[in-house]
Amino acid sequence: MSTQFVQAVWGGILFGSVYGLMALGLTLVWGAVRLLNLAHGAIFVVGSYVAFFVVSKLNLPILVALPIGVLAAAAFAYLMHLIFIRPVIGKPGFDNSTLIATVGISIAVSAAAILIFNPEYKVIPPIISGNFTLSDVQITKQGLLVIGTSLALFALVYLFLTYTRRGMAIRAVSQQQEAASLMAIPVVRTYGMVIAISGALAGLAGVLLSPFFFLNPNSGFNPMIQALIVTIFGGLGSVRGALVAGFVLGIFESFVEVYYGVAWAQPGVFLLIILMLIVRPNGLFGIGEVRRL
Amino acid sequence: MLEVKGLVAGYAGSEVLHGIDLEVNEGEGVIVLGPNGHGKSTLLRAVTGLLSPRAGQVLLDGKDITRWRPDAIAAAGLVHIPQGDLLFPEMTVTENLLMGAYHGPTWSERSARLGRVYELFPWLKERGGQLARTLSGGERRMLALGRGLMSKAKLLLIDEPSLGLAPLTTQQIYASIHKVKESGLSLLIADENANHVAGLADRVYLLETGSLVRQGPADELLRDKALLESYLG
Amino acid sequence: MSAQAAGAVGVSRPQLDQAAAPWRRPSIWAIGGGLAAGIVLPLLLVRIDIGTYLITLLILFFVQAVVAQSWNLIMGYGGIYSFAQVALFAVGGWTSGVLVHSLGWNPFLAILISPLVAVVAALGIGLPTLRLRGVYVVLLTLAFHELARVFAVTGPRFISGGGYGLVTVQTFQFGDAIGDQRTIYLYYLAGLIFAIATFVIWRVIHSPLGVAMTALRDSETYAVSRGINQFRVRLVLFAISAFFTGLAGGYSTHYNGGISTTIFDFPRIIDLLAMIVIGGWGTFGGPILGAGIVIGLNQYLVALGDYQTLILGLALAGIAVFAPQGLWPLIRRLYENYLAPEPLAPAVEVSPAAPRDTTEEL
Ligand SMILES: Nc1ncnc2c1ncn2[C@@H]1O[C@H](COP(=O)(O)OP(=O)(O)O)[C@@H](O)[C@H]1O
Ligand SMILES: [Mg+2]
Repeated sequence: MSTQFVQAVWGGILFGSVYGLMALGLTLVWGAVRLLNLAHGAIFVVGSYVAFFVVSKLNLPILVALPIGVLAAAAFAYLMHLIFIRPVIGKPGFDNSTLIATVGISIAVSAAAILIFNPEYKVIPPIISGNFTLSDVQITKQGLLVIGTSLALFALVYLFLTYTRRGMAIRAVSQQQEAASLMAIPVVRTYGMVIAISGALAGLAGVLLSPFFFLNPNSGFNPMIQALIVTIFGGLGSVRGALVAGFVLGIFESFVEVYYGVAWAQPGVFLLIILMLIVRPNGLFGIGEVRRL
Repeated sequence: MLEVKGLVAGYAGSEVLHGIDLEVNEGEGVIVLGPNGHGKSTLLRAVTGLLSPRAGQVLLDGKDITRWRPDAIAAAGLVHIPQGDLLFPEMTVTENLLMGAYHGPTWSERSARLGRVYELFPWLKERGGQLARTLSGGERRMLALGRGLMSKAKLLLIDEPSLGLAPLTTQQIYASIHKVKESGLSLLIADENANHVAGLADRVYLLETGSLVRQGPADELLRDKALLESYLG
Repeated sequence: MSAQAAGAVGVSRPQLDQAAAPWRRPSIWAIGGGLAAGIVLPLLLVRIDIGTYLITLLILFFVQAVVAQSWNLIMGYGGIYSFAQVALFAVGGWTSGVLVHSLGWNPFLAILISPLVAVVAALGIGLPTLRLRGVYVVLLTLAFHELARVFAVTGPRFISGGGYGLVTVQTFQFGDAIGDQRTIYLYYLAGLIFAIATFVIWRVIHSPLGVAMTALRDSETYAVSRGINQFRVRLVLFAISAFFTGLAGGYSTHYNGGISTTIFDFPRIIDLLAMIVIGGWGTFGGPILGAGIVIGLNQYLVALGDYQTLILGLALAGIAVFAPQGLWPLIRRLYENYLAPEPLAPAVEVSPAAPRDTTEEL
């Protein structure tokens, strides 16, 4: 196997699991709450900076910083829900209000990050360092960890939604909100839970990815856009779709990048998604309005 | 047990219910009869919190639950089986049933409750893995009923149990509701056909354009064909 | 969003046909007075100390208000969640910049091409996206913004200028006017663009097309049942919006003497969004009012540096959630209560809290 090929496959799987991880949180929130959370990237940044703070200012190991960062991201997302999402739930104009509110939160977060830290790039240490080579391609252990974590989280979320009381309630709320409330399921609290879970996923993605991409106040933006693309490609609200689409797009992007150059990667992905939306307007696994989580 | 006093409710631009007084006692089967579009669904929705009333009170065992959220009202024991079933389409039959037992204290008894629902509708057990959206109209209605029965309801509110069903299925549905009644559960049923509910009803209210115009014991009212004809056409 | 919400709002729809009637002709006096004031203002301002500074602020206001109004036309009225506005502005800016810089055109001629190229770009974005659901429009327009940025930074040298954009484009020259005199001419040109854009957008909102788009926004099913072609309405709006945005972009390039790639920075989008949201989303006067407020506030807040962005972001979120109608409806109400000579007919402006279908969503 040629080095190029191995490079493309490895990059694709790595990108794919990264995109999937971000998209998972986004698709959950869309599926259950019908919220297009444009602050998802900001939550990613919150988790990363908190972990960075714990590591570099408190001098604690990254393994301690990881859960703290994840919890902080979840708490931040939940706070956002309480202040900006909950007041408009069920009201007309929900789409407008939340779209603008999440954009506003995004820029507030990046401004806050500049103020508290500074605009410089930050480094978060990997959880496991080291690498080995395969056909002259460097495989980082952190990369393997990211792939493993992403797959494990998909499995975990799937099991949670399918077999637990609260997970099933999330699906119930997303499919028939009125009936769910008649079954004594607290709809708004369920929304809050989904948003917090999604926040935790974004935070985890942030802490795990920052060793690759560095960390700056806007470093959540690109992963979020990628996640949006993955989510739409896979079908909004579909967990399975996010997983498959993450890998499809990751591998596609990686191959374009390796064989045609980095400049073509992004335009290539956009072209692909536009074509896909023309052929299957609801994404790979979306069946339109009815199908949610 | 359930007391509704002077309930006024409606939608933007139109008032549908103009002051409803109604009560359901322990173990009673109460029927609200009224033609299509006269506010039966609106009444049940206002009682179970899906629609917030503009005036009036809803009391459950003397407690004012008027402004409670639907999930809290359901948890308190008023379980509403809505018009059109509103199943969870992408969940299996079993999952739909389990959601009926979502409320904390009920969840721990879910297996026993599943058993009781399967007794009433045995086919639910065989078809447990099927997605709700693939069921036929009659099956859906039974599943909706079964899902409601999974809860620890004090009072079951059923909105038009026979809506859109074939005569044979309609009979089956009412037969099962009968069994539910015999098990001692209180019922409040909204219907537009007096014949269906004859055996279920202890008391009957007649609803016309948002007001209850008559009430009385079922034996009396339901036997008065001339009266029913003039109301229900 | 939920059936509950739609239910609570009920079946009664605003009487859309009324909006087609010419019941809101602003008086000749108001318009004439406004124009006269606009013409005389700079002549008075140059006589005071900070006059020149104020005139440049007004120029900034004209340009931004045009973009904000154009954006509001599609987002607030049309319900198209497009984030391509800044990119379209950039398309206009680069078009005339390149025509002047690389081909030696006259700036006055070149800015006439800017809106046309912006319209072509808008059709390029609109044709594949405007049939899709709102959430796709968000993504694909954000993607367009990002692609445009990357292209402007890394594209061919006559466009990217080595990553900084166009830095030495010829500015507008009015004979040999210099200093304050030239600033006044620049002001008149910007004012003219503003006046034309405002007039056309006002006409569009009160035309059958505007009625169709309000109908579509508020109830897609209802509008479609009346034979309104959603896609075509959206595409036309998108083009009109791009036209004036591109024009503003072209003006801007020759006013500043260049166009920088920092135009794509997120805070630019936020500023514009804040104008619409603060002024009043989906109202005619909202973005104009909002442009004034945001530009005014920025003069004070700019000293705060990144706190400015922080405050703006939080304000945006707060207003969107707690006062989604913005300030314009408030002003209208004050006007109607205290100043209006006779009662005005109900506003065509339907707030974001207007009735919506359950089927219509992001
Ligand atoms: N979501 C709604 N919005 C506005 N009006 C409604 C809505 N639902 C029902 N109505 C009106 O309320 C009245 C009563 O309807 P409903 O309670 O459904 O009657 P019933 O259940 O007796 O057929 C009808 O006139 C109907 O048009
Ligand atoms: Mg009904």
